[in-house]
Amino acid sequence: MIVTPGIIGRLMALGAFVAVAQIVCFSKMDVFGSDPDVALLVVISLGVLGGSLTGAVAGFSIGLLMDCLLLETLGGFALAMLTVGYVAGRYRETIGPPTRGATVLLGGALTLLGSGVIAAIQIGTGIDATVSFLVVRDAIVTSLIGAALAIPVLWIVRLVVRSALVDERRAARRRPIVTRGGADQAPPVQ
Amino acid sequence: MYRKQVRRRRAVLLLLVAASLTLLSLYYREGNGGPLHGVQDVVSTVFAPIESVADRALKPARDLVNWFHETFDARGENDRLHDQVAELRDQLARAQTTRQEAKEVAALDETLSGGIVPDGTDPVTARVIGRSPTVWYSSVTVDKGSSDGVHVDDPVVAALGLAGKVTQTTPNTAQVTLITDADSAVTARIVPSGATGVVEPDVGDPRDLQLDYLERGTEIAEGQMVVTAGFSTGDLGSIFPPGIPIGEITEATPEEQQAYQRVHLEPFADLRDMSFVKVLTVPSGKGKG
Repeated sequence: MIVTPGIIGRLMALGAFVAVAQIVCFSKMDVFGSDPDVALLVVISLGVLGGSLTGAVAGFSIGLLMDCLLLETLGGFALAMLTVGYVAGRYRETIGPPTRGATVLLGGALTLLGSGVIAAIQIGTGIDATVSFLVVRDAIVTSLIGAALAIPVLWIVRLVVRSALVDERRAARRRPIVTRGGADQAPPVQ
Repeated sequence: MYRKQVRRRRAVLLLLVAASLTLLSLYYREGNGGPLHGVQDVVSTVFAPIESVADRALKPARDLVNWFHETFDARGENDRLHDQVAELRDQLARAQTTRQEAKEVAALDETLSGGIVPDGTDPVTARVIGRSPTVWYSSVTVDKGSSDGVHVDDPVVAALGLAGKVTQTTPNTAQVTLITDADSAVTARIVPSGATGVVEPDVGDPRDLQLDYLERGTEIAEGQMVVTAGFSTGDLGSIFPPGIPIGEITEATPEEQQAYQRVHLEPFADLRDMSFVKVLTVPSGKGKG
């Protein structure tokens, strides 16, 4: 990802919007007894598109904002989302851009990872609760919703940060220029 | 170059993890008035109006998703409620049946409470378990038989009036021939006039009985009650004890009385729809009165 002040601004706006939207909208949705974790999917998408550093920083920032807005323990969501963003980024760096199927699997698996890390932090910080079937069911349903929403969320995030993506620039350069006579002309070598 | 990038990445990651853990730790140590809580309050206050606007703006999308869920949920709930309604309907039917049966047994007890049960007889309450499928309803089967002390010719009383007599028994059941049977004949008395006759069925109409062989010239009016006469002449005697209500005179024309010595009556007992009867049994060793 090519980081420019404009892109940083876009990412901040995206992060703020998704944190607020997650709290006021997505968390209040009832989908098969659970709710979609779109903020986590945005972090996964940023990790997949921008790499581990982008994913980790975006996850930490969005998570910290959510901690503030929810008046929860500061650092809880931040640590969970930073983990998920970093893992998504490392996938991109080691294996390459995910295919559609891999995106779906990544969305489901990393949402489950995020739920697990958040649960571990909550239990570790003193929430006296047992891991009941309800909690496990909720985590599984959330991860399935995550898998279903992974591709559309990735598509939207790609639109937002398109100009900063190295792949998109390379693809634009490779695109043939069609002249009036119909002959293809190779793009100038840079 | 690559190593530098890796080192940078690791450094940032460690920094972020350390920052998160530090925040977690400090947030727990400090009280509610600590600096981190203060920062959290400020951020929350700044974002509050944005959250409020976003909440209103995104409400349609939220409602749309919830509408789908509620629709699916409502379908499941509909099935569940259908089952619940069916179960409650069963319970209601059972309760109503029990209530109706209790009412009928009480009416039965009231019918026999006026001292009409002769000494030495032992009324046995029986449930009607079988019914003749013909329109004449000439016999029914009850769930008490010879093992309960029921004998052939024992009188059978239903709620409000005489029903018939036992004509056949098995250890656990008995067949009761009703007073509407074509072969039935019960000696009866009209009260208060005292005129006597024989109650027989009006063939073709199970709700109508005839009181035949009346003495000519007796004044009989509609609405008068007919009870069993309970004749006893030497060894011959009626199997029905006296005073059991049979029915009410519904038609008494002077012409029919003069020509046929007959009036019409309607039985008190609802012979087409009775659930319980009392069989007036005579315990072994005691003769019939």
